[in-house]
Amino acid sequence: MQLSKQLNLNKRQSTLLACIVLSIIVCAVVLTGFLYDEDRIASNLEVRNAAPSFDHFFGTDWLGRDMFSRTIMGLSLSIGVGLVGAIGSASISIILGVIAATMGKVADSIVTWLIDLFLSVPHLVSLILIAFAFGGGFKGIVFGIALTHWPSLARVIRSEVMQVRSLDFVQVSRKMGKSRWWIAKEHIMPHIVPQIIVGILLLFPHAILHEAAVTFLGLGLSPHEPAIGIILSESMRYLSVGMWWLAFFPGICLLIIVRMFDKIGDNLRMLIDPHHAHR
Amino acid sequence: MKKIGLVFVIVVLLAIVTGCTQSSNHVKEDVSIGAQEVKKDLILAIGSEPDAGFDPTTGWGRYGSPLFQSTLLKRDNDLNIVNDLATDYEISEDGLTWTVELRDDVVFTDGEPLTSEDVQYTFETARNRGSVLDLSILEKVEVDGDLTVKFTLAEPRSTFIHSLITTGIVPKHAHGDDYAENPVGSGPFQFVQWDKGQQLIIEKNPNYYDNQPSFEKITFLFLGEDAAFAAAKAGDVDMASIPSAFAQQQVPGMGLEAVQTVDNRGVQFPYVPSGETTEDGYPIGNDVTADPAIRKAINIAVDREALVEGVLEGYGTPAYTSVDGLPWWNSETVIEDGDMEAASTILQEAGWMEGNNGILQKGNLKAEFTLLYPASDVTRQSLAIALADMIKPLGILIQVEGKSWDEIEKRMYSDAVLFGWGSHDPLEMYNLYSSKNAGIDYYNTGYYQNNVVDDYMEQALAATDQREANEFWKKALWDGSTGLSAKGDAPWAWLVNIDHLYVVDEQLDIGKQRIHPHGHGWPVTDNLVEWKWD
Repeated sequence: MQLSKQLNLNKRQSTLLACIVLSIIVCAVVLTGFLYDEDRIASNLEVRNAAPSFDHFFGTDWLGRDMFSRTIMGLSLSIGVGLVGAIGSASISIILGVIAATMGKVADSIVTWLIDLFLSVPHLVSLILIAFAFGGGFKGIVFGIALTHWPSLARVIRSEVMQVRSLDFVQVSRKMGKSRWWIAKEHIMPHIVPQIIVGILLLFPHAILHEAAVTFLGLGLSPHEPAIGIILSESMRYLSVGMWWLAFFPGICLLIIVRMFDKIGDNLRMLIDPHHAHR
Repeated sequence: MKKIGLVFVIVVLLAIVTGCTQSSNHVKEDVSIGAQEVKKDLILAIGSEPDAGFDPTTGWGRYGSPLFQSTLLKRDNDLNIVNDLATDYEISEDGLTWTVELRDDVVFTDGEPLTSEDVQYTFETARNRGSVLDLSILEKVEVDGDLTVKFTLAEPRSTFIHSLITTGIVPKHAHGDDYAENPVGSGPFQFVQWDKGQQLIIEKNPNYYDNQPSFEKITFLFLGEDAAFAAAKAGDVDMASIPSAFAQQQVPGMGLEAVQTVDNRGVQFPYVPSGETTEDGYPIGNDVTADPAIRKAINIAVDREALVEGVLEGYGTPAYTSVDGLPWWNSETVIEDGDMEAASTILQEAGWMEGNNGILQKGNLKAEFTLLYPASDVTRQSLAIALADMIKPLGILIQVEGKSWDEIEKRMYSDAVLFGWGSHDPLEMYNLYSSKNAGIDYYNTGYYQNNVVDDYMEQALAATDQREANEFWKKALWDGSTGLSAKGDAPWAWLVNIDHLYVVDEQLDIGKQRIHPHGHGWPVTDNLVEWKWD
């Protein structure tokens, strides 16, 4: 936050700045990832195991593949998975949270039970099981992430909806004969939208890290595909011979992106809901 | 949010952490070398697990020593055939009757003596199971007293002797349904414990009739390549097989043993157009690889020498057939490879035209196919990727996919697969290329068929004289106009022969290693009885 002090920015401005910078980075990574074709990471046996240089910013691996291109493609895949996974997860949270809060006691206890069930098993375990059940691959990982990351956000939404529902103006609306749908649309949604946005932002780094973890463990994708987890796991073999660049650059890039999202999510939560943010 | 940081640290820095701890383990290992001099046990991480268990009638012992069982004949370290259970064997003049005399002092580990009835039972069971051991030629096995066995063949077969070398004898009285998981035999070792997916523990058989092994107990750990190497570095194993990618690395206290092999790697192409399915419903054939021009172009374009240098770090040789250098190999099958222009010409003449994205097209057919490799095998992964990248400039797009063997089994009839073979038995060549073996196990998954080649191979099998047999094998490879090699039909693109690499504790003497066949590490156990701690 040194920079924001020098520029004399307040929290809103610095968050906005971070958002802009991050979106530029993310867009650049995702776009280049999609625009790159496989030729960029073709093997070139003549330049195997090369240290970082101007030709290869991040060095090359044991087949002479350019690590910079592989990292970008891996990050692009990770961000894609993270985005789809986080949005999917958030949608599930909204649906279940609202159902729990509005559809009566039975629905509430079922949803609460589901939330407890999923929270009681470590994310990674259920993620691996679900990814496996969907036949692995990109699809399996996306489904796995979407289906495992919703419980905490669902719980927040459920309590938020319950709270809003018991407020006076909602009660008055109901007494005046407004429909459930109208109340949900006009009163409840505006209250929970900020929570959802923050929720997605905070789910995102989780999703990326879990994607990296699952691919690191060798689940789902072919071991030659450029996913960050796979790049990191195959680099382990070569670290002991001094090829540090195989793990260092992809790791740092992943760290930066995850940390930025995390920071923005935190800041946003603070701005939207200063009281609860410190809980 | 600390949690996220933590997860991240684990994911990224795990590698660095293991890198650091390894160096401290070296120190530990150096200290413990003194203790190894009195060691009586041995821990090995040399290869993959025999999934079907340890029953010779279903294929156990094909590679390396069967450990628990003994065989009628065996090969010595110079690959000469010598007696094991047999004291003598005779082949009748018409080549149809093989008479084997047995030693009289052999007992199974349960105390029962080994007799000719056990031999009869073993070979009849193995034949009736129709397993990877091809004994269909065996008409009947007769017993003459306790120590004489007579094999009668349907026709003379030169390669039958390999069945006598590789088939471990099982006890007739103790060969139940669970035999594969609890084997009883007369070999140098007896079975203690098998934890599936983890380890096999054996100990020496005190009643073994020949030279006793010098170890009380041997543990085989079933580890992947990475884990095996890590275990060797940590001093947890006395010997580990490693892929060539690790060959440059030094492991203190351990030395590198590179053993020459006929262990080859190559791509099997589906040979027929798509359409049919197997009995289990898996698709057969591939329209792109069914075109001989595609297969030949790949064979000519691939630079095998570069693969040996680049992927195997020089620990290997280029492979042109599955039998390079063996007595039945035809040296005319060596082709000029790495020649992109010649390959392009072949494709153009066959009607392949420039299409979208630089990929060739012939009508609506794109020159594109999938190459499967077993995901856990680093060497095959590297070969597959390097091959795909080498071939791409030619306009043929090879999609590389890493899969488990279970998944490969469903797709290997319709997708190219990076297989590995290599044997001391010319019968393997028959198995791989004979149309009779199309779709059987992992043999001839491409449904290759050439009647001329089939004829030559049948004649080779029927030959009574080895030299005559070899001439027919050579003709099957290439007879000047057709053959199963790359010069002929090119149903395979053989790439490299891989040296078998092991890191071995400097104190451990693994004897004189013979030229290894393929076999996922097990061939090294062939002379396990001779190993010792120095």
